[in-house]
Amino acid sequence: MRELAKIFIAVGTQSVGGGSSTLLLLRRFLVERRRLLSERDFTEAWVLCQLSPGIHLVALAGLLGQRIAGWRGVVVAVSGMMVPAAIITAIMTAAYGVIADQPIARAALAGMAPATGGMTLGLAFILVRGARRHGLRAVVDFALVAVAFAVLLVTTLSSLLVIVSGAMFGAMFLGRERPTSPEGAAE
Amino acid sequence: MDPLTLFIVLLRDSALSLGGLGSLPLLRQDLVATGMVTDAQLVQALAIGRLSTGPNGLWTVSLGYQLAGPLGAVMALAASSLPPLLILPATAVARRWLLSVSFAGLVRGAALATAGLLCATGVALLWPSGDAPSWWQVVTGVAAAGLTYQGRLHPGIVVIGGALIGVLLAR
Repeated sequence: MRELAKIFIAVGTQSVGGGSSTLLLLRRFLVERRRLLSERDFTEAWVLCQLSPGIHLVALAGLLGQRIAGWRGVVVAVSGMMVPAAIITAIMTAAYGVIADQPIARAALAGMAPATGGMTLGLAFILVRGARRHGLRAVVDFALVAVAFAVLLVTTLSSLLVIVSGAMFGAMFLGRERPTSPEGAAE
Repeated sequence: MDPLTLFIVLLRDSALSLGGLGSLPLLRQDLVATGMVTDAQLVQALAIGRLSTGPNGLWTVSLGYQLAGPLGAVMALAASSLPPLLILPATAVARRWLLSVSFAGLVRGAALATAGLLCATGVALLWPSGDAPSWWQVVTGVAAAGLTYQGRLHPGIVVIGGALIGVLLAR
């Protein structure tokens, strides 16, 4: 259990920016170095975590921890990955708060705003990327994205309603293959 | 902001979204539209989430800290950690259904709707002050979108690059 805690604390504190960097570290520690899991176990957990709500990497940590050490493993894996990283995040936020009113911090924020906005757009494009494989059905995928985009931009309808409607539409008309974008899943 | 209210909002939006940034459109509608958070605070939280360690979904911890101090960060941590763990009992009870094509379609439909919402949110965040954007902000946003899509550059470097461009051109 101590070894498991060390691994997940290392992943939580060494992977910067989340996504694929966290995924790669988990695989390196658990499959390649310590051999606590087989490649097949890791891949299966990765497929299942894409189906979870919220942060997929938390679901992945929970699934891997459970596979290695049962429910105690879930607690150790998730808290090991999340708590130290959350402390670092809170400290960074507090530190930024100290200088937030300085002109240089305001200038930096003016540059970070388009960067984070652009990164959000980039992530959205990644989520849609898989549609290219669908041929003519891609039109339906892009139409769903466009409708969701327009609803949020020009109406006051709830985003929640858009997501639930999209999920229901997908269950009825898009159920032909599992999502396969590792970038989107790892976020 | 009351930490318990913050916990409930974050928990609900995390439980109804896919991925670390999937809750962004929901939270923006719940918190920015109601005046509890500014877009600038949201940008700050997103940037810190990209620069910090661990999953980038921890940007909500930064947001929680801004809204309610250390207790807000704890609430955000709990709210973002609990919903993904629903997959554990779900796989135990309904593993075959989770791997069915209809459930895959449900997830894909939710992911595509989330993509559309993220597009709209990304556009809104490009210039959170509401003023007309400068040329360099437009260029930075387009470049960040392209670099994120390609995935060749670390997201932390993109954020730092944006900050440096701001320091050089916005003063």
